[in-house]
Amino acid sequence: MAPSILVDQLSKRYRIGGILPDFRSILSRWRDNGLEKYHWAVKDVSFEVPPGGALGIIGPNGAGKTTILKLLSQVTYPTRGQIFMNGRFSALIELGAGFHPDLTGRENIYLNGTILGMKRSEIKARFDRIVDFAGIGQYLDTPVKRYSSGMYARLGFAIAAHVDPDILLVDEVLAVGDYAYQVKCYARMDELRENGTALILVSHNMDTIRRVCDKGLVLYRGEAIYQGTSAEAVVSYSEKIREVARQAQADVPTEGGLSQRVMTFDAEIMDVCLLDENGERTSIVKSGANAKVLVDVVFYKDIQDPIFALAFRTPDGNRVYATTTRWLKLHVPSFSSGERWRIEYSVHLPLLNGSYDLSVNIGAPDFGHYYDRLENALTFEVVDAVNAKGIVDLNSKVNFLKLGA
Amino acid sequence: MTATSSHKEIMPYQYLKTFFSARELLWAWTSRTIQARYKQSILGGLWAIIQPAARALLLTVIFTKFIPVDTGAVPYVIFSYVAMVPWMFFSTSITDMVECLVNNMNLVSKIYFPREVLPVAALLARLFDLVIASVLMLLLMIYYHMQIFTLQWLFIPVILVIQIALTLGLGLIGAALNVFYRDVYHLFAFVLQLLFYAVPIIYPVSKVPESIRDIYMLNPISAIIEAYRSVILHNQLPGVELFRAIPIALLLLLIGYWLFKRLEFYFADVI
Repeated sequence: MAPSILVDQLSKRYRIGGILPDFRSILSRWRDNGLEKYHWAVKDVSFEVPPGGALGIIGPNGAGKTTILKLLSQVTYPTRGQIFMNGRFSALIELGAGFHPDLTGRENIYLNGTILGMKRSEIKARFDRIVDFAGIGQYLDTPVKRYSSGMYARLGFAIAAHVDPDILLVDEVLAVGDYAYQVKCYARMDELRENGTALILVSHNMDTIRRVCDKGLVLYRGEAIYQGTSAEAVVSYSEKIREVARQAQADVPTEGGLSQRVMTFDAEIMDVCLLDENGERTSIVKSGANAKVLVDVVFYKDIQDPIFALAFRTPDGNRVYATTTRWLKLHVPSFSSGERWRIEYSVHLPLLNGSYDLSVNIGAPDFGHYYDRLENALTFEVVDAVNAKGIVDLNSKVNFLKLGA
Repeated sequence: MTATSSHKEIMPYQYLKTFFSARELLWAWTSRTIQARYKQSILGGLWAIIQPAARALLLTVIFTKFIPVDTGAVPYVIFSYVAMVPWMFFSTSITDMVECLVNNMNLVSKIYFPREVLPVAALLARLFDLVIASVLMLLLMIYYHMQIFTLQWLFIPVILVIQIALTLGLGLIGAALNVFYRDVYHLFAFVLQLLFYAVPIIYPVSKVPESIRDIYMLNPISAIIEAYRSVILHNQLPGVELFRAIPIALLLLLIGYWLFKRLEFYFADVI
């Protein structure tokens, strides 16, 4: 099947230091003395998305994620390379970008719908569904400037998602909605994909990427450093961030989990291992067994009250269990520079057969940033569950009670 | 299948095709502009009348009481109002067009649609004002027992089309350049202010010295305004100067459209 989106060697260059050339640089261009400086926001990126496919683009701020969406939606034009798009597209780069604050919700649905390329008759046909999806029924005739930011965003998404596009481009826009609305949005994206819509999603939320997308692309400084399944891409991104943070030993933007924040290396996770009931290191655990997770940490600074977190996931990224010392309301000791500590988590694993990934991190007391974070620190197998399929052993008991003849 | 690449060679007819396909958007954006302009205002669309009327009234006081200007059999208030309405259509359209891209920066840098929709809608929204303001002109003419809807009035649409071509041309040039340099907006506003006095609005063309009248009427907007007066007030056909304005208006329209399409690739990056 022909891909819905085919991107070949896409590159975009911006001028550094004010987009506008001033008079001097115009003159200098004529003299060609090379005063102008450029920055490659996107460099030689290639990918394709089949109908019904979903590609998640992840990367730190400034990696070129939004630039790629702008190039795809023809807002801006590539310096080099080519884009082929098969069918009608709808782009959500900023929710409600086309709204006029003084116009009512109803008027804005028509206006925004037309901007997104729908005919008036098409909007009319979808009108009730849009209003219903956005949940703004009673505020339909109120100017949108009086809407809460959540309502604003909901209406924006509702319109874009009802263009019934062949290609939907979504940029980190669901963060504003509440949880129930986000679930609704994911459901709508799934529904569109089942009908053959190709989806590109930019998000800082790794759980969103794992949940919504089947493929992932990691962008770093404009270049695609990894392409694979979305779960693999999230791990690759986490490793990249860790590597960069280690090199810089300084504040480096990371995103996801404690999203859009920084990872400092005030503490470093040196080792993570899983012990079975006999205290042996293992990567194979019996279903229903008790086990210990050991996390060895070195502290480079004095740290008060950090948060230790632990998460189990399936290989496709679904979270099985996650907790933090904060949620467990545990008292955490103080740590001093130069100390080495072992954090011992005792866990019970009523899991069913399969492979599970373990992630650990240490966060600042205000959730402001990570000291260190290891996505998929280790992978282990659960075996010997013979009486059920799935993820969790709910330990069914069965009784037969005869109720009559 | 749409393909985008760094190559920018697209045939002109494709431009017109995409513009045509965006006609619903053009309509929606025009009505949004009109609605938004008069939302949360008590007088609403009446402002389209009040503005030219107040100006014509002020001029009438000045040029009948303070410095009398001879306008023949036509009362000064109608004499100036007939010129003021198309002049305000011209000048407000141009200033609106020049700033429309920058004012809608958020849209231009976030969503794709044919960019010329914005300036063209700005002009159409002012055309709406022109129509409203014309109602008062009719009422004034009836009040002063002047002939209305004469055969010569059939020329009004012709003059209007020439005026729109001229306005579009200048507005597209200004809109495209203003994305790069905001000086353009100030330049246009300033030149329009000066031009007001170089166009026969407050005085009749007969007051212009013979020696420079040919050059004076070479200004297409002067020719257009004078043509409205001939047709509406004097029941005469437009003079030959209107037909000299046609090639100038068309040339400006072509240049404006070409420049706009040439520069639109950079709008989102530069705005």
